[in-house]
Amino acid sequence: MSITALDGKRFAEMVIQGANHLGANAKMVDALNVFPVPDGDTGTNMNLSMTSGAKEVKNNVQEHIGKVGIALSKGLLMGARGNSGVILSQLFRGFSKAIETKAAISGKEFAQALETGVETAYKAVMKPVEGTILTVAKDSAKSGVQASQKSNDIIEIMEEVLKEAKASLKRTPDLLPVLKEVGVVDSGGQGLVFVYEGFLAELKGEQLPDSPQSYPSMDEMVNAEHHKSVQSHINTEDIVFGYCTEFMVKFEDAKLAKHPFDEQVYRNDLSKLGDSLLVIADDEVVKVHIHSEQPGDCLSYGQKYGSLINIKIENMRQQHTNIVGETHTPLVADKPQVPKEQQEYGIVTVSMGSGIAELFKSIGAHAVIEGGQTMNPSTEDIVKAVKEVNAKKVFILPNNKNIIMAAQQAADVSDEDIYVIPSKTVPQGLSALLAFNPAGDVTTNEASMTEAMQHVKTGQITFAVRDTQIDGLEIEKDDFMGIAEGKIVVKNKDRVKVAEDLMGKMLDDDSEILTIIYGEDVSEDEVNNLVAYVEEQFPDVEVELHDGKQPLYSFIFAIE
Amino acid sequence: MSIELKTKYGQIDISNEVIATIAGGAAIDCYGIVGMASKSQIKDGLTEILRRENFTRGVIVRQENEEVHIDMYIIVSYGTKISEVAHNVQSKVKYTLDKTVGLAVDSVNIYVQGVRVTNP
Repeated sequence: MSITALDGKRFAEMVIQGANHLGANAKMVDALNVFPVPDGDTGTNMNLSMTSGAKEVKNNVQEHIGKVGIALSKGLLMGARGNSGVILSQLFRGFSKAIETKAAISGKEFAQALETGVETAYKAVMKPVEGTILTVAKDSAKSGVQASQKSNDIIEIMEEVLKEAKASLKRTPDLLPVLKEVGVVDSGGQGLVFVYEGFLAELKGEQLPDSPQSYPSMDEMVNAEHHKSVQSHINTEDIVFGYCTEFMVKFEDAKLAKHPFDEQVYRNDLSKLGDSLLVIADDEVVKVHIHSEQPGDCLSYGQKYGSLINIKIENMRQQHTNIVGETHTPLVADKPQVPKEQQEYGIVTVSMGSGIAELFKSIGAHAVIEGGQTMNPSTEDIVKAVKEVNAKKVFILPNNKNIIMAAQQAADVSDEDIYVIPSKTVPQGLSALLAFNPAGDVTTNEASMTEAMQHVKTGQITFAVRDTQIDGLEIEKDDFMGIAEGKIVVKNKDRVKVAEDLMGKMLDDDSEILTIIYGEDVSEDEVNNLVAYVEEQFPDVEVELHDGKQPLYSFIFAIE
Repeated sequence: MSIELKTKYGQIDISNEVIATIAGGAAIDCYGIVGMASKSQIKDGLTEILRRENFTRGVIVRQENEEVHIDMYIIVSYGTKISEVAHNVQSKVKYTLDKTVGLAVDSVNIYVQGVRVTNP
């Protein structure tokens, strides 16, 4: 069979088939998206653009191919989304311009129109980036023109075009360094290949199989997912889903009878367990890639449908630490200085800032876990720290209300004898620790430490990360806020002013000692000004200064 | 004028020129842009495509209360969806600045100063 003349009706069908095929594979294209911005929307954007074009074509199906071309060009222009969408619209704008006046086109004209499309597309950019959809379109159109010199059959030409498009797509990593780095082919180019596949299938009168031949490989998509993940996680601590889990499930009939496999359901269920999910299924196996904190649950879920093969689980936190080149600092900041033989009491505390850690150690803490606001240590970190302390009975001072839970969990899961003193702030932790008596028994110590916590008032100065309204205060991003006992009471653009206001509210006649722990971002002048202010306004209060080196909190006050 | 970033080891100053050059470079990577235009040429009613070495004249970096705003004067190609091209430029510029200098831009304002018509 050969087609030497293409009319409007057939061309309309080609466009619709191309759009459908792209639509069916939009998710794959999304997964490959690393350039120009790795936001994973190329497929969605191209699909929306192409669908808009196809819709316009559907409303204008007629014999005259030039008119159909105009409709396509208009629909694409109106619906263009994203970089690749705009490029796609330009490719077909040029294509349509070339065939505008024709009722039907020959193979030669078809190839020529593709070439014109590429020329138009290249004109609309100042600095064409090679290794993208542009390159794929250019290479394939060129090969189409060559084929048209030998044959006038549109099917043959389209076959050549598609063949070269695929080959060119494979070469994109050689042209665009970021693709090579990540190990993927260009997403926009892949999208164009899907469109061309749709075109060819329609010309040949074939139905495209549900799972097309030219899937981007699972490996490539996995690479792209990881790239995006690295881009969005600057700090190792920000990784929520710590294990990169890949496995394949080989379906077993017996199990399928109980749990019929539905890809959509499967995908939805798994997506609850993590992110960066990729699922590819055929009749025999399903491949899964997911970032999850519970790799075991993912595997158990997969097992419902068959047997597991090719399992690979990697700890991404560790990998990430290596990637970002951090020197590997164990979460337990300092090894306990105590001798290895077991001692009666151990004290584990959580704090951020090396200065505060020093402070805790100077008054008797055995291990200080780095952590605090926005970087809570896990239960496991705490259990590990408790083990290292190597004591018969261990007290934990979480120093943050968000960590109390983790500490209690640690107490539950660990074999050690653990007592959690629910200190919510650093000052509470310090007072509790000072009340500790190594000679006393556990119950007395627990009681006196908890009791000591009540006598200290805590003030904290930090900054707002966004505009908000809280506790009756209108707060703008980057304002400094004064927090007294967990409640925001004052705010100001100037942190020393906030600190002064906050102290004004918190100090009263009963206050004797004010401990100021200043953070890493505070200058010496600011500290001196603040001390001068307190000495002038509250002459009865004794001021103690510590360089806490903590992030986020400019000042922490303890008032006793 | 320059943008200051503080790290625990000290301070990093990045001049507005540098920001403008990076933003300009990122913008012309975007599809649909055929050039940058100078801001001051609006007065004369003339919009001429800037040469590459003069990009910074089409990119204005402003700082207002610790916030960084970028105004870009661009020329687009006729026949493209201009709103989408402008949007692509915004996201590309924001992403590039964040990635290369760790600068979070508060806004990227696009002024389309001209459309270049080419016949296919």
